[in-house]
Amino acid sequence: MVIPLRYHVRNVVVRWRSTVATLLGIALVVAVFVLLRSLAAGIEKSSAQTGDPRNILVVRKGSQAESSSLVTREQLQALQYLKGIALNAEGKPLISADVITLISAPRAGGTGEANLLIRGVTSRGRELRPQVHLTTGRWLEPGKREVVVAENLARRFAGLEMGGTLKAGMGRLKVVGLFNGGGSAYDSEVWMDADEARLLFEREMYSSLILRPIDDDAYRSLTNTIESDKRFALRAEREVDYYAQQTLTAVPIKILASLLGSAMSIGAVFAAMNTMYAAIGSRTREIGTLRVLGYSKMSILCGFLLEGGLLALLGGFIGVAVSYGLYQYVILRGITFGTMNFQSFSETIFQFSMPPALLLLGLAFSVVVGLIGSILPAWRASQIPVISALKSL
Amino acid sequence: MTILGFIRKNALRNRRRALLSVGSVAVSLFLLVTLMTLIRELTIPPEDVGASLRLVVRNKVSLAQPLPYKQLSLLDRIPGVVAVTPFTFFGGNYRDEKVTSFAQFAVDPVRFTNVFVESRSSPGQIAAWIANRTGCLVGMDTMRRYDMKVGDKLKLTGTFYPCDLELKIEGTYQGSVDDRTVFFHHKYLDELTGDPGSVGTWWIRVAAADASGDVVSAINRTFQNTSAEVRAESERSFQMSFVSMWGNIQVLIESICSVVVFTLMLVTVSTMSMAIRERFRELAILKAIGFRRREIFTFILAESFGLAALGGLIGIGGAALFWGLLDVQKLSNGFLVYFEVVPRTMARAALVAALLGVVSAIGPSLAVARTSVVEGLKTLD
Repeated sequence: MVIPLRYHVRNVVVRWRSTVATLLGIALVVAVFVLLRSLAAGIEKSSAQTGDPRNILVVRKGSQAESSSLVTREQLQALQYLKGIALNAEGKPLISADVITLISAPRAGGTGEANLLIRGVTSRGRELRPQVHLTTGRWLEPGKREVVVAENLARRFAGLEMGGTLKAGMGRLKVVGLFNGGGSAYDSEVWMDADEARLLFEREMYSSLILRPIDDDAYRSLTNTIESDKRFALRAEREVDYYAQQTLTAVPIKILASLLGSAMSIGAVFAAMNTMYAAIGSRTREIGTLRVLGYSKMSILCGFLLEGGLLALLGGFIGVAVSYGLYQYVILRGITFGTMNFQSFSETIFQFSMPPALLLLGLAFSVVVGLIGSILPAWRASQIPVISALKSL
Repeated sequence: MTILGFIRKNALRNRRRALLSVGSVAVSLFLLVTLMTLIRELTIPPEDVGASLRLVVRNKVSLAQPLPYKQLSLLDRIPGVVAVTPFTFFGGNYRDEKVTSFAQFAVDPVRFTNVFVESRSSPGQIAAWIANRTGCLVGMDTMRRYDMKVGDKLKLTGTFYPCDLELKIEGTYQGSVDDRTVFFHHKYLDELTGDPGSVGTWWIRVAAADASGDVVSAINRTFQNTSAEVRAESERSFQMSFVSMWGNIQVLIESICSVVVFTLMLVTVSTMSMAIRERFRELAILKAIGFRRREIFTFILAESFGLAALGGLIGIGGAALFWGLLDVQKLSNGFLVYFEVVPRTMARAALVAALLGVVSAIGPSLAVARTSVVEGLKTLD
């Protein structure tokens, strides 16, 4: 079967006036779909990038977030002398207990309040999280009411800038440094001294434990010991695995992306159909000519399908290019977005994430829209009787 | 043939195109209504009947920080306060659900019924609930959703608290703003947690709505400079404080809305100009036989307006019907509760449809006006 390829490709180019609206329509649909998906991907990425693969995180069985977990001091005492925990340079076991709570703080620009996730850490807690780098100021001193704040968070809240003060009831916490969490969930946190946090928030218990086993064997035996002890009722797993599961926040955005994607694509299919029908209507004579020249019905059908697909693909390219451009702009300018994390109930900061697979998905999406939209018109084109086609104006 | 008949015939001469145009307008307006309803759902918390008389008191630090139980006696004595109940979020999961669609709160049953006066419940059931320490009151929506009966056991696994509840359903209620919640005895929770002497929040009913401002400042003043400073606010502003937490999501959805509207304009305008371009010759004939530009513009406008209006009717009406009939609460697992398409939303979408009809007519009309009769007659397609 031979398809008049050149004819169809030239048509898309030469008659651009009649197709430009459809083209842009498809481009916008693809752009919205890709951007929403990249938003959801960004939220998932920040939790997926959290943690050190060597670490074990211990939380209470049944808790759904670190912030709602409870670990007693007795449990910490019992766990820290377990065999298999790595030692640091000073010969101390690499285990740390965190206290996690929320502080409601005013947003920068006076647009309401949101919850900040406060993590009380020990010096070994910092050692266990090499992802976190201090970028401005100094690290907090134990025993003082000082905090270090994630840079991205500091920009979004009033009083979180370097030297600022965070109010927690009667307590005043001074911002002494800013850190960068390397795109992890820590980029949405405020860190302070664990014991100070327990005093200030009147907490008897810790929230979670983090520890580093010597090797994989130690990892297995440690998780086994912790999980199987009924008295503990604790859950132990790799820190990275724990965070990778914290993806509830992205679910509604994914649903929105699918809903919008499908509804808008129906609209786009209608538009493509309209354009293709009009194209065929005004080119009846040309189709007749092609048939006379010897192109089969099948060639005509495939040719118009191809034309529709090509048209949509062009739209898809524009859409993907627009969303990629927007993505690059947002990344270059360091713009971050924030919303409520459904698991911790605190402000979570994220950026768009646009893996190449998503761009390809956008292109595939556009081609599918184009093909579905051209099936009926192309079928009609292939069924036009040759003689009447030639006679038509 | 009447003018109206002429316009109708013209609009439907290419049935397929008319159908597709109406279809794409309908789909886009359906989407627009859906998005606007979503924004409404996220930003305008529903108002309860008794909300104007209720205050919420939480720890000034954040909602996660508890309040000492001993604040109760002080709160009771503040002038203007009619009733106070502890109100502690339990956050349990029902059965094996990952995310349970209803919230559970520990309250003082007697005090609770004095704070939430508008919910309807049978007095016998209330009495039974008050009498049973492990009893609970379940909203009708939850009863229906899980097919529960009064007298059933209700087991909840604690996610916030290291304990599980084993409750017995003693009664139901309805007529509140959200008939899903489960209420149980605070004493039972205290028992399970070893009585830490703390509550999550206090919910208060005041004597009169206009006095609530004074009560709010009196409460805030009372606990100033104590170890647990509080923030008292009206139920409405308490609900609104959650809206602020959505952060940029609202702006993002709003921008999507405008992209949808823009895409819609683009496609409809192009369809309309396609329809007009096709009959340049006829329009030229109309001009030749004496129709004025204004009249021809009216023909085009009426046609595009008619198509847009029909599409709007189907899209907006369809959205209202669709979301009205669908159990959104169940589908979204409690994430969206009402998803009500309100008349205001419909009116705004209708305005977009009307605008669309007018804007799509402008381009083709200008083209026709600019073309001379001779040129128009020469056009082929």
